[in-house]
Amino acid sequence: MIVQTALLIGLVLFSVLAVFLKDLIRAAISLAVASLLLGIIFFRLGASYAGVFEISVVAGLITVLFILTIALTNKAEEVRESRLANVIFPLFFVVFIAIDALVMKGLLQKIPALPSGPESGTFGEVLWKGRTLDLVGQIAVILAGVFSVLALFRKRDKHD
Amino acid sequence: MTNTWYLYLFFSAALLGAGLYALLAKRNLVRLFIAIEVIGKGVSLLLVATGFAKGNLLAAQAMVVTYIVIEVSLVATALAIIINITRHTKSLDVRKLARLKG
Amino acid sequence: MIILFVALPLVVAGILPLVGRISRRFLPDLLANAALLFMFVYAVAAGRPLIANGPVLQQLNWLGESVNLRLALDGFSLLMLMAIALVGLCVGLFSIDYMEHYGAKANYYALFLVMIAGMNGLVLATDLFNIYIFLEVAAVASYSLVAFGLGQDELEAAFKYLMLSVVGSAAIVVSIAVIFGMTGSVSFGAVAKGLQELNAGPVVGIAAALFIMGFGLKAALIPFHAWLPDAHPSAPAPISAVLSGLLIKVSGVYAMTRIFLNVFGLTPALSTVLMYLGTVSLVVAAFLAIGQRDIKRMLAYSSISQVGYIVLGIGLGTPLGIAGGLFHLFNHALAKGLLFLTTGSVQQATGTRNLDEMGGLAKRMPFTATANLIGSLSIAGVPPLNGFWSKLIIIIALVQAGHPVFAVVAVLASVLTLWYYLIMQRKAFFGILNEKWAAVKEAPFWMTASTVLLALLCVAVGVFFSAMIKTWIQPAAGVLGDGVQTVIRSWGL
Repeated sequence: MIVQTALLIGLVLFSVLAVFLKDLIRAAISLAVASLLLGIIFFRLGASYAGVFEISVVAGLITVLFILTIALTNKAEEVRESRLANVIFPLFFVVFIAIDALVMKGLLQKIPALPSGPESGTFGEVLWKGRTLDLVGQIAVILAGVFSVLALFRKRDKHD
Repeated sequence: MTNTWYLYLFFSAALLGAGLYALLAKRNLVRLFIAIEVIGKGVSLLLVATGFAKGNLLAAQAMVVTYIVIEVSLVATALAIIINITRHTKSLDVRKLARLKG
Repeated sequence: MIILFVALPLVVAGILPLVGRISRRFLPDLLANAALLFMFVYAVAAGRPLIANGPVLQQLNWLGESVNLRLALDGFSLLMLMAIALVGLCVGLFSIDYMEHYGAKANYYALFLVMIAGMNGLVLATDLFNIYIFLEVAAVASYSLVAFGLGQDELEAAFKYLMLSVVGSAAIVVSIAVIFGMTGSVSFGAVAKGLQELNAGPVVGIAAALFIMGFGLKAALIPFHAWLPDAHPSAPAPISAVLSGLLIKVSGVYAMTRIFLNVFGLTPALSTVLMYLGTVSLVVAAFLAIGQRDIKRMLAYSSISQVGYIVLGIGLGTPLGIAGGLFHLFNHALAKGLLFLTTGSVQQATGTRNLDEMGGLAKRMPFTATANLIGSLSIAGVPPLNGFWSKLIIIIALVQAGHPVFAVVAVLASVLTLWYYLIMQRKAFFGILNEKWAAVKEAPFWMTASTVLLALLCVAVGVFFSAMIKTWIQPAAGVLGDGVQTVIRSWGL
């Protein structure tokens, strides 16, 4: 439990760093570390498939995409973030966490839930046989992403 | 719901709150996108924690896996749009995108 | 084979880039529009007999093993499928000519078909998370379709659309997680049954609020509408037509309606919230539309306003109100699609979207002008066009249910709507012909043909409105009117 809480705090910490670090590459790496921590949290909860996916895809693939973008937009001018927003954030965040904790304490045991039966099958069976339409959706969204990138990076011919 | 679920809900809300604040306050386009990723983390944490609390981990993981795949497509599209924007405005500042009145 | 509605567009989209290498114009156009035509014919011809005996659930066998591909086709889904296929087909035909100068037509059609597949999948889904998945499929395709022209305005609009849309999606998934936590499942039947057993009013209220935030953003209800007035005008005209005519209704109104009426059950509190949201959108957006100079922006605000009308009708919850709301959904899809397409014709001919610069175009573009007039009068609610009947039904339903104030507000908003559409007509099409446009010609064949077709349909649905209501709207309204029983009883776990 202690380890888990420490990991969760680390997750939030690195996520906040990822948004507030000035250098974009460090921000991307901070995001990757946060994803790594989230993957470990998943593993410790027993969700090994989700953990693997989180680490390999989010900490891996998406970080690469970010670094690629940062490299491709290197020539763009520097963006000065609002200093006011940076200063207000710690105050805002502390207040938010306080309200958050109070709300959670108040909600303890208040949300009713049906008792759930045991789960059957392996992950493969649940995904391929139980939620097959999800897979069709995944194919569709991958197609959407691929065609989007193709469309947005197409060469503009002179006669178009 | 077990008490641990509320612990995870607490942290998930923290992530969502930080992400939303950044989405409103930040100006760099890529940083705005990192904020979206943070929101995504909050959501997937909540999904897995819910599955854990219900003992329904497999179904929850199937949903999280699909959610991550959707996230990848979204990131690819968004970054493609951002790169194209910099070709026009030569800047990553969201305030330069003020030509439309909204 | 209900899965065809999702599988066919995806497969055709998949092979389109390859086809596009062989033939740059003819084959992609043919394939894409053939697929859309097939879906429309299939929905009309095979759909109604299929559901004559109650909703159809499909469980498929794939390569010998039974996989759980659960799709459900009932009256409401069928109405949406038909509307999607119909407007999609007309937009596809329009794009044959309009998208010529954008380049990469095969790629465009591929994205378009993926968006259609996403919308079809959403409409056929039986499970909360599937609705979310297909919603995102359509959304991701739509982001790049809005940005398709690669101009700065389009990219800016697409980016803002994306940012806001992601917040909405997050709200939806958080709500799904809460419901999953309460009931242990995300499928409609199980959730409906579970919520009834639990009787957990306040928490369901929070989940419902999150859904309203998420789906309300997709439907562009005020106060979640900020992205629409930028995104719809900047997109290429056929995409504006699909976004305003279909996407906001499928990912916003359909999803919200299906979940609130069939899964949660429409409580009086929920009904009141929806009615107020609808009315606010209806009135505020109508006022905002009046001052617009950009013709597509005026149409965008009109979309927000009319979606408010639809939500008002459905939120009322009485059978007549639901029927009126659904009929208006269909009519608005036809008419708004028509209007955006005709403005596309005008934009291509004159190069401008500014109303003050146009004038007297009716003399040079008679077909486009007439089609636009029919679409405008339809949405404004002028008899005997289709829009008049759907608005009338909603107003009667409001009076019958004991909400005379809402009815009066709705009538006044209709007057406002008529006013700004007449402004648009006068400035763009009638009046003195601006000499700049003396050499303007009528739009190319497919563009004109598709707009004329939609205009004729508006007239036909208006004249034959009772037949339309009996065959298409009543089954849909009946499914929704049954409330939670629909998913518990017929769809099962």
